[in-house]
Amino acid sequence: MGPAAMKVALFITCVNDGLFPDTPRAVVEVLERLGHEVVFPTEQTCCGQMHLNAGYRPEGLHLAQRFRQVFSDYDVIVSPSASCVGTVRELYGDSARAINDAVLEEELEDIASRVYEFSEFLTNVLKVDDVGARFTHRVAYHPTCHSLRVLGMNEGPKNLLRHVEGLELVEVPNEDSCCGFGGMFAIKNAATSSAMGDDKLTSVSSTGAEVLCALDNSCLTHIGGLSSRQDSKLRIMHLAEILAAQEPTRV
Amino acid sequence: MSRVFDTEKPFPKLAKEALQDQQLRTNLAHATTTIRDKRKRVVAELSDWEELRDAGAAIKDYVLGNLDTLVVELEKNVTRHGGVVHWARDAQEANDIVVALVKATGEKSVVKVKSMATAEIELNVALEKNGITAYETDLAELIVQLGDDLPSHILVPAIHKNRSQIRQIFLDEMGKSGLPAPSNLTDEPADLAAAARAHLRDRFLSAKVGISGANFIIADSGALVVVESEGNGRMCLTLPETLISVVGVEKLLPDWQSLEVFLQLLPRSSTGERMNPYTSIFSGVTPGNGPSAFHLVLLDNGRTSALAEPDGRDVLRCIRCSACLNVCPVYERTGGHSYGNPYPGPIGAVLVPQLRRGERTPLENSLPYASSLCGACYEACPVKIEIPKILVRLRSEVVDEKRRDHAHNPELVAMSFVESSFSSSKKFEGAIRLGGFIGRLRRGKPLRHLPPPLNKWSATRDAPVPSKESFRSWFKETHPSSDNAATKKSLSPLRKLMPENRNPFNDKKKVTTSSSAKDAILATIAEANDDAHESKANRAQRNYLLAGTRSLDERVELLKDRLIDYRASVTESTSAEVPALLQRLLEARGASSVVVSADFPDGLLQEVRATVRRDEPALSTSELDDIDATIVGCAVAIAQTGTIVLDSGELQGRRALSLVPDHLIVLINDDQIVELVPEALPRLRPNDPQTWISGPSATSDIELERIEGVHGPRILDVVLVRS
Ligand code: SF4
Repeated sequence: MGPAAMKVALFITCVNDGLFPDTPRAVVEVLERLGHEVVFPTEQTCCGQMHLNAGYRPEGLHLAQRFRQVFSDYDVIVSPSASCVGTVRELYGDSARAINDAVLEEELEDIASRVYEFSEFLTNVLKVDDVGARFTHRVAYHPTCHSLRVLGMNEGPKNLLRHVEGLELVEVPNEDSCCGFGGMFAIKNAATSSAMGDDKLTSVSSTGAEVLCALDNSCLTHIGGLSSRQDSKLRIMHLAEILAAQEPTRV
Repeated sequence: MSRVFDTEKPFPKLAKEALQDQQLRTNLAHATTTIRDKRKRVVAELSDWEELRDAGAAIKDYVLGNLDTLVVELEKNVTRHGGVVHWARDAQEANDIVVALVKATGEKSVVKVKSMATAEIELNVALEKNGITAYETDLAELIVQLGDDLPSHILVPAIHKNRSQIRQIFLDEMGKSGLPAPSNLTDEPADLAAAARAHLRDRFLSAKVGISGANFIIADSGALVVVESEGNGRMCLTLPETLISVVGVEKLLPDWQSLEVFLQLLPRSSTGERMNPYTSIFSGVTPGNGPSAFHLVLLDNGRTSALAEPDGRDVLRCIRCSACLNVCPVYERTGGHSYGNPYPGPIGAVLVPQLRRGERTPLENSLPYASSLCGACYEACPVKIEIPKILVRLRSEVVDEKRRDHAHNPELVAMSFVESSFSSSKKFEGAIRLGGFIGRLRRGKPLRHLPPPLNKWSATRDAPVPSKESFRSWFKETHPSSDNAATKKSLSPLRKLMPENRNPFNDKKKVTTSSSAKDAILATIAEANDDAHESKANRAQRNYLLAGTRSLDERVELLKDRLIDYRASVTESTSAEVPALLQRLLEARGASSVVVSADFPDGLLQEVRATVRRDEPALSTSELDDIDATIVGCAVAIAQTGTIVLDSGELQGRRALSLVPDHLIVLINDDQIVELVPEALPRLRPNDPQTWISGPSATSDIELERIEGVHGPRILDVVLVRS
């Protein structure tokens, strides 16, 4: 279903390439399962989020220009990271505006208009609900701040999860409160960041979920890092990995 | 000596200390959760909230773009109404002006309404140095002052204290500076509020000088608007002979009509109420109705320099509602003291660095990083200040400053190394291969100890171990036919966008040659607005609801419902029944004396058996205090918010009448009832001294729970006279 086969350029993000390759692999699996062509522009590295967020604007804009060149030939760019997509959409243009560079601003706004977060692409562009996944677990979804407030997505990803066979989606209390990752914040204000993360972990644990998923591995690394240090049994997975899962039917 | 903030340590250190305080975290979590829920509920009641936010932002933009003409217009109008306007470039000038004004009265003490501007300039310290005692009268400020503490919230400075801590402060400290707290004081908020009422009562009644701020100052009429809850504001604004208001220049509104937006945005965003219990509106001096001398101190203190920067301009829209604090997950855990100044939370993190351009301390430079950029503040802000974006821009300024002053700073070196690894896919692949090697060594076990500065991560969190196989090598293997020519693209050279190596603030030509503070402030504004693109922004569109659709009966029902919700008693009556009803209401509360205005008709009082006093000639404040009740008419009532507006007109008399006696009876004719706030304003004249009343006096200062009964009348009886 959905529109005819599309050619999708994957932006996997710097973090996923080496640390969480299962996530972009899952994206490839789902998109190919739905009949679309996936290409991987190999020059890609990082969108510049870390630099832009932390105040390293020239470095960040350098990486932003690089991003634009790498992807300039593609009409559809999909990424399994709400914060990277949020950066491209919100911070690219704003950072160019801050240095009064109208040409750069226009270039960056143009590339931004072609970038989609993975679940957003499924929901808003391909308009699919059921991606043919089967995952028989109790799952909590954490709407990360970028997915919720920058990209404005909450129902879309939850809807995709509800259509996964066997999956039980639980409500997390205060789901919209930040987990405390915040990029450089996690280091510069480590104590506050951890306190926020502990509270998030407590809310998630209160639901009895076996698995916590989200649209961003960075937030998940933070929550997962706390939970693994505390020897919690909570499993951390990117939403894409759940959508790719095709667990055999249990006997 | 009044305490001042610890400005030696940066935010992360102060926050870490605060996080150890379990009681503080419990108190803050309880209070912020309470207020967040309340705010959400009352915001959801308005279908035009987003349109109101847009209008709020647009009006403020208009004000800032036209600040020089508006502020001069304001001065003219305040002067025309008998006020005196003073201009202060900075904290020192403002404090000097206020100290001199108080000294000229010969008084040794003043009563104060909570005001952020006076906290910002540390006025109390300056007064104290000159032998003048400033008594804070807002409940939360009183708690802070008695406890020799520091404010930790814009609206509720004692938010970090819970009821039992407050009880202890009252028991220990009240007796040292006045009437002690009763020894059987409980920790019930109503009891605590009653203790504050008793402690401050005589001080209010005898005060000769009041000091306030203002929420809004209206350029085309010279009216000041002070929004409050407890009635302490009304006491300080109406009873003393001299009133001094210290107000930031950005508090201007162009005209009366603008209030229709802000009197909806502010109460719902700050205390989560449809309308705050009391709003006072006054212009200069009204003979026989309030202070006989009024001074307005217009404060710059960094505001006009912030105006020259686009982000600074956005931040100056702030109406100090504190919604952003209440929704901030960082504030909720670290509390206000960690921000090291009276403006904490998200607004503090952007406002303080803006006001302190060119002279920031390390603490102030750490504030833009005191955020996870979660965006909850922007979502809540009634004037749509994009706080996360401004934080990011401010971080850039901090980094650029580092580049100038400490080029070898380890963070700079690390960040530039990381950037260079991302600048070529070759280098990046090298880094990934190195990671894969570590991954094989760890065999999937998470990393528990990382080298500095990453040890800050691994102190509480495991770090993920790199995967043995990267995505790119998997993709290459599994997709050998993928179009390599297209995906392997050669890049053209990129422009390096290094910052210009200059401090944009220091070498800006300073307009210090001007002779007077006024000239200097106006010159800075003019210069800032010359540079700005959107300076002469247009007036806001009124896309929000301007009139309601309810019938008279429905308006009456709504008004009743809203009044009762805020603990007023309401009785419907025909005009013929009013005299008997007044007698019943007075008797029910045991009132043996009642005061009315000079023009109050005898006919309405014919059944009243209590002693009737007319305010003619004007009664003294202590005479008023001996009277049990007041009966007044009103100018207009707003159904949607349960608000009754008194404008010192017919059957009302001066403002003190409806303030001092403890039992207030208000008569409303049904033709005075409108549905929405925007319908009320055209029925009022901006320069009439007004009191907007929504319920009995109340406070949310103890754990952010609303309780009725503080300094203003504790009983409000409303009579709806049906025609
Ligand atoms: S920044 Fe916005 S939300 Fe925060 S205090 Fe100011 S007006 Fe209120």
